Amino acid sequence: VQQSFASAVEEHLDDVHAYLVYLTGDRAAAEDLTADTFEKACRLWHRYDARRASAKTWLCHIARTTALDHFRAEARRRRREQVYELRERVDVDEGSFGEGLSPTIEAALATLSAGEREVIALRVLLDLDAESAARLLEISVTACTTRLHRALKKLEEGVRGHVAA
Amino acid sequence: VVMSQPDSILAAELRAARLSASPELRARVLELAARPSEPRGPRLPRLRLRRALLVLAPAAVAVVLVVAVAGGLLDSSSPRGQAQQAQPLRAADAGALHAKAAASVAQGAAGIAPTRSRAQDYEAEMRLRVRDLSATTKRALALTRSFGGYVRSVDYGSGAQSGAAELVVRIPIGSVQAAILRYSALGTILDQHVAIRDVQPGIDARFRRLQALRAQIAKLQRRLAAAGLTSDERKALEAALARTRAQLVAVRRAQQQAERRTSFASVSLSLTSRKPVPAVSHPGRVDRALHHARTILVKELIVLLYVAVVGVPILALALLLAGGERFRRRRSTERLLASR
Repeated sequence: VQQSFASAVEEHLDDVHAYLVYLTGDRAAAEDLTADTFEKACRLWHRYDARRASAKTWLCHIARTTALDHFRAEARRRRREQVYELRERVDVDEGSFGEGLSPTIEAALATLSAGEREVIALRVLLDLDAESAARLLEISVTACTTRLHRALKKLEEGVRGHVAA
Repeated sequence: VVMSQPDSILAAELRAARLSASPELRARVLELAARPSEPRGPRLPRLRLRRALLVLAPAAVAVVLVVAVAGGLLDSSSPRGQAQQAQPLRAADAGALHAKAAASVAQGAAGIAPTRSRAQDYEAEMRLRVRDLSATTKRALALTRSFGGYVRSVDYGSGAQSGAAELVVRIPIGSVQAAILRYSALGTILDQHVAIRDVQPGIDARFRRLQALRAQIAKLQRRLAAAGLTSDERKALEAALARTRAQLVAVRRAQQQAERRTSFASVSLSLTSRKPVPAVSHPGRVDRALHHARTILVKELIVLLYVAVVGVPILALALLLAGGERFRRRRSTERLLASR
């Protein structure tokens, strides 16, 4: 049964926001992108087909596209401004990935790439099944599982490293 | 999600600390949802590629078949189609004619009488099936002589009762009609052809030329008879007179030949004792429709083959480019996400 857009917002706003926080590593940007995502979703809601994907997957797909457009625009802006930095790290605020998350996990998460954080967000936080996540990431289910495994291993190693330090 | 023990602890901590959207963001997004939705046009059903192919492929085949069948039906009912169909059967039809019917055909052909008032080249060709080749050939020769004609050529194995004979005879133009009727009674007409060519304008032109030459000769003779001609002038006039007389003789000879030629008609007789090809029955409308439908279908298949030969490489190239672009975009996304 096709749900209304308002109920989809109520149900999945936190999921989309959390996903974008992990993907961008920037709460402020994630907030803006979440608003953009739902604005697009509101326009495209008539195209949504519940038989093809869940509302959460569909919204995450729009969120991903929005975030990638944002990343590309940022990259272009940096090139235009000729800021030659080896790697522009996003300043990760204290507690940027979650409320009450231990600093070691926060720090370890910050060392992961956006792609690695993304797969953790989809599979762990949003609890998407492997098939939906793989379709969203436009990779195979095996590649998705492998990516998750590697991301979690890297996160675990990061946590251990910080604890040891 | 299957995870090891430390992984599952980590996952539990990540889930427990999951951020929620701020009240401001929630209010902002809920405001969007509360906006009255814009009126949308009728929603068209979205066809996925496989489903579209499942519908389009049989539809295309159906269209091809309908066009072939409709074209076949239209062609089979049109007079042009019937005429085209009837044409190759004419000889066979003639072969199936009985002697009586053949006689009426012969009468029809013999009805094209030469015009007495004009000079004409009259040529007739007849193909007859006969029972006794030898006797019929002799009878044809006798008939020719009885009409005052003569034999120009005969190709016939004397004494043979079966086989074929070819006769070319010349019949006085006044008797040709009657001769053709008599010849047609010798057997069954398989084929008959009469060609008449009017040669009167040529004869008239030569006649005028003869008159002009005669007038010229008379004029030259008058000038030669006049007094006071120098020796050179006389010689020149005599030479001109001789040339004109020679021309007159040549034109007169040509005129006589033409008149002799047109006073006789040429009749070619092909006699055969062989059984004719069995008559082919006229195909019905359904058969004609099927025949035309098959022809159209073959043409359609040729066109489709051509389209496939030209289109498949283009399609393959387009797919390759699209795949390449998709791969490039995916790699770019991977790099972008890895770099952040």
